Amino acid sequence: MKIAVCIKRTPDSESRFKIAPSSTSIDETGLKFDIDDFASYAVEVALQLNEKQGPGETVIVAVGPDVVQETLRKAMSMGADRAIQLKADKIPSDGLAVAKALAAELKDGGYDLVLFGKHAFDTSAGVVGTATAELLGMPCVTAATKLEISNGRGLARRELEGAAEMVEFPLPAAVTIDEGIARPRYPSLKNIMAAKKKPLETKPAQLGDVRVTVTGMELPPDRPPGRIIGEGVAAVPELIRLLQTEAKVL
Amino acid sequence: MSNILVFAETRANAVRKLALEAVTAARALADATGGGEVHALVAGTPGVGSAAEQLGQFGADVVVVVEHAGFTNFDREAVAATIAARAKAGSYRAVLLGFSAQGRDVGPRVAAKLDAPIVSDVTSIGVNGDALTVKHPAYANKVIVTLEVNAPLAVVSIRPSAITAQPAARTAKTETMQPASDPASSRIVVKEMVEGGKGKIDLGEAPVIISGGRGLKAAENFKLVEELAAAFGNAAVGATRAVTDDGWRPHSDQIGQTGRQVSPQLYVAVGISGAIQHLAGMRTSKTIVAINKDKEAPIFKVADYGIVGDVLEVVPALTQAVKEAKASH
Amino acid sequence: MGAVHASNAVFAFVLTIGAGFFALNVQRLIRYMRLGFAEDRTNAPLVRAKNVLSIGIAQTKIFRDPVAGAMHATIFWGFMVLTAGTVEILIQGVFPQFSYDLFLWHPLYQLYALSQDGFALLVLGAIGFAYYRRLVVHPRRLEGDKLEHTDALIILGMIGGLMVTLLLMNAFQYHVDPATVGPEKFVSRALAYAVTPIAQHPTSIAQLFFWAHALLILIFLNYLPYSKHLHVVTSLINVYLSNTSGPGQKGVMRPMDLEAEVEQFGASDVEHLSWKNLLDGYSCTECGRCTAACPANITGKELSPRKIVINTRQRLMEKAPVVTGDRMEFLHPALLHGEGGDAGAVTIEQVAEHRLLDTYISDTELWQCTSCRACVQECPVSIDQLDIINQMRRYLVLSESRFPEEVQPAFESLKRNGSPWAFSPSDRAKWAEGMDIPTMAEVVERGERPDILFWVGCMGSFDDRAKKITVAFARILKACNINFAILGQEEHCHGDPARRMGNEYLYQMLAKDTIGTLDRYEVKTIVTSCPHCFHQIGNEFPQLGGNYEVIHHSTFIERLLQEQRVPLESDEGKRLTVAYHDSCYLGRYNDVYDAPRETLKRALPVVNLVEPKRTKDRGLCCGAGGGRMFMEERQGKRINIERTEELLATGADTIAVACPFCMTMINDGVKAVQSDVPVLDIAEVVAGQLR
Repeated sequence: MKIAVCIKRTPDSESRFKIAPSSTSIDETGLKFDIDDFASYAVEVALQLNEKQGPGETVIVAVGPDVVQETLRKAMSMGADRAIQLKADKIPSDGLAVAKALAAELKDGGYDLVLFGKHAFDTSAGVVGTATAELLGMPCVTAATKLEISNGRGLARRELEGAAEMVEFPLPAAVTIDEGIARPRYPSLKNIMAAKKKPLETKPAQLGDVRVTVTGMELPPDRPPGRIIGEGVAAVPELIRLLQTEAKVL
Repeated sequence: MSNILVFAETRANAVRKLALEAVTAARALADATGGGEVHALVAGTPGVGSAAEQLGQFGADVVVVVEHAGFTNFDREAVAATIAARAKAGSYRAVLLGFSAQGRDVGPRVAAKLDAPIVSDVTSIGVNGDALTVKHPAYANKVIVTLEVNAPLAVVSIRPSAITAQPAARTAKTETMQPASDPASSRIVVKEMVEGGKGKIDLGEAPVIISGGRGLKAAENFKLVEELAAAFGNAAVGATRAVTDDGWRPHSDQIGQTGRQVSPQLYVAVGISGAIQHLAGMRTSKTIVAINKDKEAPIFKVADYGIVGDVLEVVPALTQAVKEAKASH
Repeated sequence: MGAVHASNAVFAFVLTIGAGFFALNVQRLIRYMRLGFAEDRTNAPLVRAKNVLSIGIAQTKIFRDPVAGAMHATIFWGFMVLTAGTVEILIQGVFPQFSYDLFLWHPLYQLYALSQDGFALLVLGAIGFAYYRRLVVHPRRLEGDKLEHTDALIILGMIGGLMVTLLLMNAFQYHVDPATVGPEKFVSRALAYAVTPIAQHPTSIAQLFFWAHALLILIFLNYLPYSKHLHVVTSLINVYLSNTSGPGQKGVMRPMDLEAEVEQFGASDVEHLSWKNLLDGYSCTECGRCTAACPANITGKELSPRKIVINTRQRLMEKAPVVTGDRMEFLHPALLHGEGGDAGAVTIEQVAEHRLLDTYISDTELWQCTSCRACVQECPVSIDQLDIINQMRRYLVLSESRFPEEVQPAFESLKRNGSPWAFSPSDRAKWAEGMDIPTMAEVVERGERPDILFWVGCMGSFDDRAKKITVAFARILKACNINFAILGQEEHCHGDPARRMGNEYLYQMLAKDTIGTLDRYEVKTIVTSCPHCFHQIGNEFPQLGGNYEVIHHSTFIERLLQEQRVPLESDEGKRLTVAYHDSCYLGRYNDVYDAPRETLKRALPVVNLVEPKRTKDRGLCCGAGGGRMFMEERQGKRINIERTEELLATGADTIAVACPFCMTMINDGVKAVQSDVPVLDIAEVVAGQLR
């Protein structure tokens, strides 16, 4: 199958973030970037599908400035065949604009399947996958935790809140991938070396108008240090009260 | 002045709490942009129209009822097409919806169909001249981002519980509308609904996790943890490596460096000391409660609330208290 | 023996055939050995020679098991001494007049003759004991791993036979001509008296035993290449060429050039190992001392270091004939006894499909290793089992990305966060809050230089229990007014866990970056509380160009105590009974056994130091080394519990450690057995005594 996987370069989710002086972006010093977690599951799914289903091609696409090439190489070191960078000065906050650029690129690619991560760690919006599919006129299955393809049709399991559904759909289709579906393989040194030679194309990203911009960033108030609220059974009522009023989880 | 369209999500034809929150937000936005109308669209099987009155209570001027037998299961394609069609037909400033599983599926489609920019998971909406401004907790809630949307029509999905639903009663007019596309022609077909996985909520999904460690002393005492989880209703049960290694719980329940990494709204650590390997699996939980008899236990450093005490006594008391709190909610 | 006869010519012929066949076999084995990659072992000849003398000749490692040691040493020394006699005899077979007496000072010859008889008797005794041991006692380490005793019994029989034929030959020779068997050959003489009744035709019988003896020698010689007794030929050579007891630092992993244009990285089959690893395969005596000391094997896991080495030889003997086109010697591996069973290849295609990894040695076994070095420590012929394991781990990770799945988050975290756990790098120096400890950056900005860098390590920075050790040591440093600094957030893992787990690529990235930071600050001296950091930075960094003097905190504290710089509370304190658990990377890797003990003795007013049964260089690993801290234990008893039980059995009321990994494992162990004996680091013991 010809599978495209759209990935995003995001900072490591464990990082402590600081705001840059411009206060419209985060301070990137010391941050480590990599393929966004959900996108990496999507890459793994694509690779496994093509391994199972015989010869195919896995193409990785990402929007962004040249640093994104490192992320594309990482995906190729997992086993993808080639990559395309849709070059833009920065990854826009306008998910629809990103979707337009991706749709423009994928439109004539003849892809059987286009995969995305369910959402990216930085925005957790989950916009790009669904919007791109819509623009391509493809059916889109979101948050898949299982995916099987046979005879030009797909079967996916989707986790809903507290339940799950099995859905069937025709190809070509877009699927956004949830966690638990596959563990992204760790690239072997051999594959890391091979990835350096795989084809990586750069084209300008056709974003159109970018209509959502960041105008400010701030850090949330510090997580107050924890406290021991009491001893033994006597402390339980106070805990309930705090969970209800302060933490608002009850 | 312009109107605001709200997609009011329903479940089994009952309006969800987050839909009322969206209506409240729409009401506030309409007032801030010259006092236009709030139109709430509901889609469901015949009978969903009875939700109209409740939506009116919270500020909807018009309730657009889309009833179709084919809406037994949520049909993202038909619903998105319908919302987009309605949005095109009226002159709306924004389309609001809740950032739920359904909302995540529908919002971007509507945005693409309308060529309207979309912002998601926002916690507040405001205006700045012609632009909308929203706040969104990004980077896993570590950075609050303010975004400006410059377009005559925008789609905004709202984080559940970020806005409190406010009654703002008015008499809502009801309009009916046919789905813009036939649910039967949707390309994605639901073959089967599977309830709750194995009857257990998956650790990765559960908003609440109650986790047990060696402090429980024996495998049998894990039932206290299960009872507490049951009291919460939407909780999953986790375990530390020590107790899964000892066979008290299956390995799939292990939370930690070599097990599952979780980030629920509430994590209750029962009889867990807080070794580095365990912390690596749960420290990003929004609220952490620890119960342990050793006040020096490292878990108390990461817990928001700690109780020093014998877990065999405290947990049953907590279970009872949670049951009572839920019953009165 | 008289004039040269036709029999001498026949003997010469037989000798030539026998010796020639042996030489061909040796040549063949050398050819097979050269399948491995080249490496230079010609450095430091004096150190190597010293090893041969002590480990080889003096049998120092063999004596670590006193009873079996005495038995083997007897046979070995006897063998060496009797070889002189063997040469004399073989020459006599061709030139009957030959004798050492012709050119030796006679008393010396008599001494020599005495030695022959004496050792023949001793060896015979030892052989008897060996049979008894193998057939009656059944020591555990000679069992298991699918070992067969046949080979051993044959060899023992042959050696016994050689002694018997020698003595009987002499005995009957005495009846031929008493002058040729002097009184110094006391055993032969005694035997001569005993056989008098049947010595009617002594000449032919003496000749018979002579031929029997000579033939036995030749048969023995030619049996060696097919037996584990090949070690007779290779062991001293192996000890000479081995690095396991120096020259150079022990326990340093092989360097690896990742830029090299190679088909694969690491070893999956015998040709990817070095010729030295293959020589190790030839030299293994199957004594099982390594496996008996292996913490994984002791606790019921598949891993057996002996098996690893024997499998290497088996695979070499399976593959090499095919690779070298040696049709003559396509030996069925069944001829080679040993572990794992033979892989049953009967066709060349099957041989090609097999490989050392998977067919013989499973990845499960390889991952069970804690790299404690007990196997290397015990091996009497200086085999480096750990070297093979490490090279195969490198293959698994670098070439096939095959490793226990729980390791992947550790690798990813090392790459992203610079530590094996998912903690934010910016939290690294949180332990130091409020302690007024400067970072290198701060000190250098002031235009100063600290005397020493305190390298904290990831455990000490992030693990709550280990942080207490860090704080304790920092308090000691401050109390002694040491001018030190920490790297703070500039510190990240040096990559040792990645290296131990075979991920050389990730390791080199982290290590080179660390060296960059250290050199930027012109760091010369480092003190650290973690033996893994100590070993890595001090001993392995030089491979990548980082050269620093690194001191472990136990050594550092001991020095401070010796110099009386530590302000301690005097006198009172209750008498503690302390069991100190030796860290593998401090002990077996770096020979630091005394410093922590001395520290305890100096710091505590009254201390009763007790030793667990397996202690110092025989100490049992806690189970965390070799990257096992980041892996699940899936088979057998938990190593840390085995060790904890042993420590508690000393009756100690406190357990002391000098490594944060040991701390975690022993602490977990103590909790698991529901004991409340406290586990303290050396630094905490001392800090607890600070005034």
